[in-house]
Formats: sequence, structure tokens, C-alpha cells
Amino acid sequence: MMDVTLDGVTFSRDGRVVLDIGELSFPAGSTTAVFGPNGSGKTTLLRCIAGLEHPTRGTVRVGGEQVRRGDPRIAIAFQQPVFLQGTVGQNLELGLELRGVPAASRGPRVASIARECRIEGLLDRPARALSAGESQRVSLARTLLLAAPVTLLDEPLSGFDRVSWLHMLEEIPALLSTRAATTVVVTHDREEAFRLAERIVILVEGRVRASGNTAAIYRAPPDAETAELLGYTLVEAEGRVIGFAPGSLTREPTPLRFRLEAGRVVDLGNQRRVIGRIGATRVELALLPGESAPIPGSWIDVGPADWVEFGGG
Amino acid sequence: MGDLGAGLRDALRLILSGDAEVYAIAIRTLLISLTATVLSLLIGCPAGLLLARHRFPGRTLLLSFVHAGMGMPPVVVGLFIWLLLTRSGPLGDLGLIYTPSAMVLAQFLIGIPIVTGFTAASVQALPALLPDLLASMGASRIRTLWLLVREARLGMLAAVMAGFGAVISEVGASMAVGGNLRGSTRVLTTAIVTATGRGDLAEATALGLILLALALAVTLSLTVLQQRRTG
Repeated sequence: MMDVTLDGVTFSRDGRVVLDIGELSFPAGSTTAVFGPNGSGKTTLLRCIAGLEHPTRGTVRVGGEQVRRGDPRIAIAFQQPVFLQGTVGQNLELGLELRGVPAASRGPRVASIARECRIEGLLDRPARALSAGESQRVSLARTLLLAAPVTLLDEPLSGFDRVSWLHMLEEIPALLSTRAATTVVVTHDREEAFRLAERIVILVEGRVRASGNTAAIYRAPPDAETAELLGYTLVEAEGRVIGFAPGSLTREPTPLRFRLEAGRVVDLGNQRRVIGRIGATRVELALLPGESAPIPGSWIDVGPADWVEFGGG
Repeated sequence: MGDLGAGLRDALRLILSGDAEVYAIAIRTLLISLTATVLSLLIGCPAGLLLARHRFPGRTLLLSFVHAGMGMPPVVVGLFIWLLLTRSGPLGDLGLIYTPSAMVLAQFLIGIPIVTGFTAASVQALPALLPDLLASMGASRIRTLWLLVREARLGMLAAVMAGFGAVISEVGASMAVGGNLRGSTRVLTTAIVTATGRGDLAEATALGLILLALALAVTLSLTVLQQRRTG
């Protein structure tokens, strides 16, 4: 197992600083989600780790050794899967061939990963004729097939329909758990970050806002902006910023109360929600079964079951 | 219509009779144009790859020159080569003017921008992440280049066809630097001009048909190769 460490890495493109990472490490054998909004530098960070971009300053090391382009210790799956002409099977075998795997053992390895990733039925299909979800699945299989000590996955769940997405949220951790690789998963989706990784690095405008255990950071976000990224609703009250998690707002008595201006009611089939406002903040209040919906424009008292506080907003 | 019909009839008679001079001209044409095409490929393919794959100062300007060169009148190339190779020119001592070598050189220069331009366009049309994917899987630089060429083979074969089509059909450069010398530098295009000039409709039509047949045969072979690999 190999750890990944970044030491004072900065990366500039066209004179603009895209990444400015101080010290950052990905412990050996861990799975870390690099999470952040679009344009926060997540993919650039992944490409620097893969050796596909040279940092303007600083170094990236894997197992204590600096990475280089084409580093055999690293395998990467791109956000947009790229394939060569030919079948899925040929594309998978090419990866092994380029890594110097003897021809005799390529077939069994491809068959094995195809079974694991449930793509046996795709092996004879032209790789460039796959659907978005199938492409992602094959791209993941190709990356895992290389059995590299460091596995990098860039938005591995983009392109899946909702049902497949839910399946993949279960399958990817299972696939990763059977390997001892240090894995870095880039995602802009909070739920993916939480379900796929035990560690998280939150990146905003190329800088690390927080890193560490996913649950611990969720429970105690370091600042309001990070909390908002993690899905908290932020409300200003008496000079403080209160953050509460989605679904925690209730009409039941709570120590902290707000006045909510009710808006329209959305029926999600299994649940009705009131879309309303607390001050300038848009919030959602889940209605209990049988509970009457407030009249749009009326005011009701609500409060969060649990919340975090930040300094002046 | 009557003249054309008679011309075609006479042309077919000339072709089927196995006229030695006509066939010598056809073979010379093929040799000169194929040699020039192969030389254009040797320079144009790597140049196209370089322009497609690398960013460097002056690249856009260079690409503009290549694109302009794709439509350059062959007679201008012929004039340029003639000025270089003529007895009093800077390369006059080589004694190449009015030789098949001079014609190969001229056609080679006509072919280079066409092959370069087509190659660059076909490689640039590949997915941008392909080189990164290959590198990440451990492909060496040479292997990456080879795989990119293989991926771009449809466009590259189009480059071969366009290059060959341009050089076998040009007349201006061959006339200028070859001189249309009978038995030495006369090729199908220059022979057609000469035959038309002296009113020999049968010979002009026969040569024209052979030129068309040669161009068709070569491009047909390449197209079959291109489409077979696609499927």
C-alpha cells in the first residue's frame, strides 16, 4: 500500500492559480473523496496526482517517490471515458498490454474484472458505441484491472440514470474494498462523497477548506461556506450564522425558533414539503403524514432539531 | 458529340492496341506521383502529428501556412522549383532541371501541405484525453504516437488519397520543371496538354482515360482499405 502526499503544490494555467494546496496527504489504503463545486480544481488535483500535469510548484509523491507521467503505480478513470477503436475486450486488454502483462494472463484477468464489474455482456461490443452508463462501468473496470496501488476516479458516477446510480453507489465501495489501493474519488455530489469514501477533502477555488474523516467534518464543518457546500441551510440570526442539515427543520418545539413564511407545497408522492423562506433563505419543511399544509403567505414557527453555529455572517 | 464519340472510340483502340509510348507515359506518371506521395507522407505525417499534438509559439501561423499551401497553384510551385534548379539558379549545378527527379521534387512540395493538413486535422479530431489515457496506462511516447496514428487512420488514408490525387492531376509544375520531354519527363497530364494542342483528340482522350483509371484504381484500393478497417 502506498500513501499519496502533496507538498506545497500550486498549479497555474494562463497566469491564473488553479490550485494552491499546502500539505495534503491521502493515507495508504484509504478512500478519499475530493469534493467541491464545479471549477474548484478537483480534476486538476487528480491530474497532478496522476502525473498528467506538472505542478507549477511543489511535489506530489506516491509511496515517498515523486510521481511522473505514465507512473505505473497509478491508474486513473477520466470523467469522460475515452476508448480506442475496437471492442470493450480489446480496450481492456490494451491496458494490460501497455503495463507489460504477459499475453497469456491478460484474457483471464479481463474475464475476471468483467465478472466483478458486471460487464461480461459488453466485452464484444464496440467500445465507442456504449451508453454513458456502460462507458463509465467499462472505464471503472479498465482502471481497476490495472491493479495499481493508487486508483484515481474522476466523477465515476456521472452519466448513470437514477437506478443505476444507486446500484453503483453500492458496487463501487464493494469493488474498492476487495483491493488495498489508495483511492481518490472526485465528485461534486455530496451524497456520492459520503457513500463512497471514509475521508473527504473539500476544495474551494483551488484551496483545501477541510480534510479528514467524512462524518466528523459533516458534524462540525469548519466554516459556514463549507457547511453550505455540505448541504447545510444557513440562516442568519442575531449576528450569528446558524446551519442546519436538510430535513432537520420541524414545527415541533425546539430550543431555537424561526419564523417561516410559507410558500407553495410540493407533493413528492411519499412526502409533502413546504417551500418557504426564513428571512432571505429558501428552506424546505417536511410535513408529517396527515399534517395540514400552511396557507401560502402565512407565517409559522419552526426550528431545527440539530444545528451548528458559526461566527458573524 | 460526334467528335467526342469518335475520340472515345479511337482512344479505346489506342489503349487496347498496347501503344508502347502511351503505356510508358502511364508508368512514368505512376512512378513519379507515387514517389512524390510517399515522400510527402514521410514529412507530412510527422509534421501533421507535431502540429496537432504540441503547442508552441508560431504554431497557428504554421498551420495557416499549411492550410494556404493546400490550395497553392501547382504552377507556382513549379516556378519556384524552376528558379532553384535552372542552370543559373542556386541549385543549378545539380543538373536536375527537366528530369523526373525535378518533377518528383515539385510534386513532393505540392503534396506536403495537403498530407500535413489532413493529418493534423484527423489527429486533432481524436478525443483530447486519448494521449493522457495512453500515457496513464503506460504507453511510451513512440507507442502513443503509433496508437494515435492507428486511431486517426481514416483521416490519414484520406491524406494519402488527397495527396496522391493532387500530385497525379497537376500539370503546371510538371510542365515547368519537367519540360514535357518525350521519352523522359512526359507524364499523362503534360502529354494530354500536348496532344490537345496539336489536335490529336484520340490520343488526348486515351491519355485522359488512363489518367482517370490510374487515379481511380489507387484511390479505390485506399478506400477499400479504409472502409475495411473501419468495419
